Amino acid sequence: MRNRWMNLIFAVLAVFGALTTLLAQTAAQSGAKKIQTPAAVPNLNGVWANITESAATFNPKEDPAFQAWAETKWKANKNDDPAQRNTNGLVQMDPTVASCFPSGMPRLMTEVFPFEIIQVRDRILILFERDYAVSHIWTDGRKPPEDPDPTYMGYSFGKWDGDTLVVETIGLKDSTWLDRAGHPHSDALHVVARMRRVNQDRLQIDWKFDDPKAFTKPWTGRSIYRYHPDWTLEEFISCEDRLLHGGESLEEKAVKGHVQ
Amino acid sequence: MVLLTGRVEIAEGTQMKNKFLGMFIGTVGLLIVCVPVLAHHGRSNYDVSSTATVKGVVTEFEWINPHALIHLDATDETGKVEKWIAETNSPNILNRQGWTKNTVKPGDQITLVGHRVKGGASYINFSKIIFADGHELNPAVKN
Repeated sequence: MRNRWMNLIFAVLAVFGALTTLLAQTAAQSGAKKIQTPAAVPNLNGVWANITESAATFNPKEDPAFQAWAETKWKANKNDDPAQRNTNGLVQMDPTVASCFPSGMPRLMTEVFPFEIIQVRDRILILFERDYAVSHIWTDGRKPPEDPDPTYMGYSFGKWDGDTLVVETIGLKDSTWLDRAGHPHSDALHVVARMRRVNQDRLQIDWKFDDPKAFTKPWTGRSIYRYHPDWTLEEFISCEDRLLHGGESLEEKAVKGHVQ
Repeated sequence: MVLLTGRVEIAEGTQMKNKFLGMFIGTVGLLIVCVPVLAHHGRSNYDVSSTATVKGVVTEFEWINPHALIHLDATDETGKVEKWIAETNSPNILNRQGWTKNTVKPGDQITLVGHRVKGGASYINFSKIIFADGHELNPAVKN
């Protein structure tokens, strides 16, 4: 008799336990499903190359409205001022070409070398052929730092606005050029890039550069990139020539008349 | 470039209008071809107002960044050997055009067309290389 009651109690507990486990698993699965199945987003994956007309800058038609110090620096950078020219005529003002500094963002987006976009769960990566640099664009909703330490690539975060990826970048070093043309910027630069795949072969980015320390109003521009499904990224490292030839490239030596 | 040159040659044998059109297309073509080759650094180092041609035998091919370098011996009419250095685009760009570190080899007889560095040094940035068997390569960026 006692055993019958015990058996009944165990059976009820077993059924209750099984039901509880089943319910918990169902709840967990539905929760996991919500996380693992994000809404469909446009596919930007692949290798892209800059085909913008006058690709050295984001806006060939209009320069930024510079504050006075930045205007002076811009004139020097573009070699308008003969006094700023080095005697041998090299582009001595360019921190990347003349002094081997990383190109950094957003200048990398004006380089002739391609980049590859890789979309993953919590971020979008842009791998650059130049310098082997990587931009991490966080898309997991994390809060950006209020006062980020400056870096060459900056701190980027993005979200989808329909078919457009809106990327903001802050925390950039002021020692870089904003683009390959030599437009200067400060550490207050706030970049907003609206990236949209306008068709299978074209990526269009509309830019807004807000820099209250260097500009009197935001500067805008547009870049166009071509899709290259058959390309893979190669390697490009700056300044290998001068490292291999005693601190000075053979070109520099030739300009100075130091080669045969 | 070959196509554009062909158009110029056709124009010279026909009408004046076509000649000017050919010159225009040729000039624009030259700019399109030459600018990307010099895109990495300032053009101020080079005499872009004239085209230089160097013919010689390769002694070394440096597959390095940011410009691959060909070292060659050019022999003038008197038999004097002059050492030249010729730079072109970076290995990543050349790779996409089908070049490898073995595309140019010591002993190759080559002709280079490009711009000589200012000041008269034997250094050229070339936009076209012609091999002994007549085949040509153009190292420009093709985005």
